[in-house]
Amino acid sequence: MMRSMKWLCLVVLALGCGAASGLDFEQELKKALKEGVQQKSAAPSGGAQGGNLLSGLGGTSQEEEIAIGRQIAGNLLGASPLVKDKRLQKYVNNVGRWVASQSERPELPWHFGVIESSDVNAFAAPGGYIFLTRGLYRLLANEAELAGVLAHEVGHVIRQHHLKILQQSRLVDLGGKLIAKQVGDNNAVQKLIGSGAEVVARSLDKSAEFEADRIAVVLSTRAGYDAFAFPEVLQQIGHFAKDDGNVALLFKTHPHPDDRLEKLGQAMGGRFDAVKGQALEKRFYRLKP
Amino acid sequence: MSPIRITLAVLAMLAMHAAWAAESGMALKADAIRAEPFGDAKTVATLSAGDKVEILKKDGGWLQVKSAKGSGWVRMLSIRKGEARKGSGDAAGLLGLASGRAGTGKVVATTGIRGLNEEELKSAKFNAAELKLAESFATSRPEAQKFAAQGKLAARKFDYLPAPE
Repeated sequence: MMRSMKWLCLVVLALGCGAASGLDFEQELKKALKEGVQQKSAAPSGGAQGGNLLSGLGGTSQEEEIAIGRQIAGNLLGASPLVKDKRLQKYVNNVGRWVASQSERPELPWHFGVIESSDVNAFAAPGGYIFLTRGLYRLLANEAELAGVLAHEVGHVIRQHHLKILQQSRLVDLGGKLIAKQVGDNNAVQKLIGSGAEVVARSLDKSAEFEADRIAVVLSTRAGYDAFAFPEVLQQIGHFAKDDGNVALLFKTHPHPDDRLEKLGQAMGGRFDAVKGQALEKRFYRLKP
Repeated sequence: MSPIRITLAVLAMLAMHAAWAAESGMALKADAIRAEPFGDAKTVATLSAGDKVEILKKDGGWLQVKSAKGSGWVRMLSIRKGEARKGSGDAAGLLGLASGRAGTGKVVATTGIRGLNEEELKSAKFNAAELKLAESFATSRPEAQKFAAQGKLAARKFDYLPAPE
């Protein structure tokens, strides 16, 4: 009995050592990240609640999360600028913020935008930066459909899907290098996110997409919109030919719309039968041709 | 017939075609056709995955369909709408692919608007001015609340959905 207790103590001790050195690494990593954040001090403050939103290596504070997302958003806009239509951009922010207000992170500094691209796609960056393309906007028939698309992206942000990818790959890879070089240079954030806005083109786990689809219909419903507007958008996207260049990236990084509809149908079942929502077709802001 | 008349006739035919095309569908999975658009309504027939249907009407999350198996109401999410491939006539999309945009990332589509591919996203450079502009359109929570009220949108409680299975 005594003997086994001793062994147990030894094991616990060894585990403790491992955890301690892990903690040091984490601290170093956080320091490097923080320096990056300070250099980009133009980033809007995310408030004091910060804290570790994620467990695991290099937990990221809300402030850091926003700084990372801001860098990615700036890069994405470098590839595709905003559609130059102020009323459109304001409208999309109104709808997006209302939908995001129904989530558990209503106080993030949410930003939404429509970017110039004939591609059919939408992108989310950590901290609440969300963009959809002109090509996708053109497919939408009413405000509820727009709300659904934005709510899907809000889902990625609140569940930190992209941030987790960064933490799992880049952060760990580059973290070592950053520490080795004692970096405090102004490109620290950029280094963490890889090249340009690459991370938004990264495929998420299929289950993350299905999860964002489920969140999309729920947030739409909470916001008072028709829950079936978002599946309608999936229907529309499903009509594109597989070899159509405008959906190449979307189809590469997402499960096929048919699979998404099927999974979403299973999850929704009859739960929305008694729920009526609005489509707001009249208020929907239509793009100038 | 004047050219305008002909144009109108052609447009009308196109519109009819589009309307007709939009009304067909295919079952994504096996599901019940019900007598009414309710989950507890009587089952009239059962669709198998791949069965063709004709869509007559929509009511909330339900579609009224006609099929070889029978007619009635099916859950919208069990049906994939349409067979016609939208966008297949879209020159920009096809051109993008045919000209190897996926390779070089430098091809400009006929619309003058480029698509987005991984290469372009990777090589994208930070655009501070554009980001500032994007941030200038931000809506505050109270503003959003007002906007919602104008549209008679009321917030309501609804639980997140568990993953199926």
